[in-house]
Amino acid sequence: MLEIRDLGKTFGAAKRALDGVSFTVRQGEMFGFVGANGAGKTTTMRIVMGLLEADEGEVRWKGGPLDLAGRRRFGYMPEERGLYQKMKVADQIAYFGRLHGLSPAAARGAADELIERLGLAERAGDMVEALSLGNQQRVQLAVALVHDPDVLILDEPFSGLDPLAVDALAEVLRERARGGVPVIFSSHQLDLVERLCDSVGIISGGRMVASGPVGELRASAGRRLRVVVADAEPGWADGLPGELTVESRGRQVLVATDATDEGQRILHAAVRAGRVEHFGVEDPTLAEIFKEAVA
Amino acid sequence: MNGVLLVAGREIRTRVRTKGFIIGLAVTVVLIAGITLLPKLLGGADSYTVGLVSSHRLRVPAAQEGGAPSIEWKEYADEAAARRAVLDEDVDAVLVGDTRVLSKGTFDERLGLLLQSAHREAQISAAGVRIMPLSMEPIGADARYRETRANVAFVLVLILFMLMVQTPTMVAMGVAEEKGSRIVEILLTSVRPWQLLGGKVIGLGAIGLISLVVVLAAGLTTAFASGLAADFPPGLAGIVAGVVVWFVLGYAFFAVLAAMLGSLVSRQEEVGPVLTPVTTTMFVVYGLATYATREPTGLVSTIASFVPPFSAMVMPVRAAAADIPVWQVVISTVVMAAAVAGMVRFAGYIYQRAVLRTGARVRLREVIGSR
Repeated sequence: MLEIRDLGKTFGAAKRALDGVSFTVRQGEMFGFVGANGAGKTTTMRIVMGLLEADEGEVRWKGGPLDLAGRRRFGYMPEERGLYQKMKVADQIAYFGRLHGLSPAAARGAADELIERLGLAERAGDMVEALSLGNQQRVQLAVALVHDPDVLILDEPFSGLDPLAVDALAEVLRERARGGVPVIFSSHQLDLVERLCDSVGIISGGRMVASGPVGELRASAGRRLRVVVADAEPGWADGLPGELTVESRGRQVLVATDATDEGQRILHAAVRAGRVEHFGVEDPTLAEIFKEAVA
Repeated sequence: MNGVLLVAGREIRTRVRTKGFIIGLAVTVVLIAGITLLPKLLGGADSYTVGLVSSHRLRVPAAQEGGAPSIEWKEYADEAAARRAVLDEDVDAVLVGDTRVLSKGTFDERLGLLLQSAHREAQISAAGVRIMPLSMEPIGADARYRETRANVAFVLVLILFMLMVQTPTMVAMGVAEEKGSRIVEILLTSVRPWQLLGGKVIGLGAIGLISLVVVLAAGLTTAFASGLAADFPPGLAGIVAGVVVWFVLGYAFFAVLAAMLGSLVSRQEEVGPVLTPVTTTMFVVYGLATYATREPTGLVSTIASFVPPFSAMVMPVRAAAADIPVWQVVISTVVMAAAVAGMVRFAGYIYQRAVLRTGARVRLREVIGSR
């Protein structure tokens, strides 16, 4: 279990980057870390990886303070990708395996396996600089995975990937989580986080505004009424509670907090306005929770 | 320690495999061989070929270390054949009828003196007179090797200077590369900053040491092959061993300093400007060391040979160019080693704090005392 406890960090004289950030990631749990740019995701991850020192708080792993020996068993992908440009793909992956404590043979074996797995077999002997950005990203992932880490910390691992690569990476992460590895990744793709993660943490302005299992968060945020009406005049929802969005081809979606007495009134209005395609009470999406939380 | 060795191993493997390293080393070897041969090429010939036409061979004193050159004689049937041989440069000169010497265009002064004195000697002994040669006895300090020692020192200065500029620059470039590309963020999650810094300095130092040894071997091989080594002063092995020790000390000092400065910048283009104080210092060191090859026991040279980092080049040069008391060498080595230790601590401290601060160039003041 990885515990982040009350992390605080101030840059310079005034900029409070983190303020009492706490969350816990259990074995085999996939944790999505979301927040606006500058909210403190990267700072938190850098503190976990020992690249920054926290002013307050601590990071605990398996019940004790996390030290370098523990971190060497972590896999990390920084936000700004970094590889030796003038080093061959296979050599590079194996080198990081060695730095993480693997024997030469084990490092070479793990590198070859990952190269095969990530579809880089034909590029194994090429310099990294000769690779496309997508392939460099795969090498970066291989560097984070080569030592079969106990924990994965990935800063924006999905950014810049095409949909197929997103699926491939998601599968790799799921597989690691199934093997009992806690996986933390940050992302702005909230639908992806919702689909992949067991739990999420939402950070805003250096503070955790919500965290917990996705299901619980959605349930506790209050259920929503969702009405989809086709061929309606935009003015139909005037005077009704909730937020109206006009989708393509005249489809209009009204989302309101679930209150029984309002529900029937909204349904009547919808029926009068046009063709009701959907009417239901649902848990909010992660995107909705996020918007509310950071508002 | 394992981390240090892994980092050092990567540095060595990636450099040694590059074409640039191999070519650079080859060029240096040729350059050093050339410099070693230069005095030989510029100096007088070792032996002359002299033709004889109805003449007797003259008795020339046997060739000896640094002494008179030897003469090879060649008989010709008549003067016409001998003249042709002179004009074709088959022989340096020709002695005709024991009275005349012919040579092409002008006359080699040394050969002239040699032939004249041999001729005089022959005439005098024919007349039954014996002359006792003057006995030559040098007194005071042995100055026989002064010129050679100064030349040896000059070559050493050149080698040390090239390596001490080149290798620390490579260290700084490497540090800036890792910082700029953010690889350092991944590296520092598995090794400590001092391991990364130490591994890089040791790895590239090993490359420098390989270059130094190859260059010294090339120089010495050329010297022995060409016979120049006969003029070498005794104790050369000690001087060469000393150069290796001083290279290690000087390199360590400048390399960690360069690594520290490299950690302040995030782009390789900024490495040159940020290293300016180091390169300038090195040129001053080089200037002093060159001066010391001519004035090894002068006041300036003596003082400089105790002050780090100047001592790293001035002391080995003084030791090569003159006889320096052992206590001076020992004290200077200890002082330099202490300076290296201090520099390692200071530079390590700065490096650790600066290498993760990407973006604009970090100022030393910002780093010292901050967290």
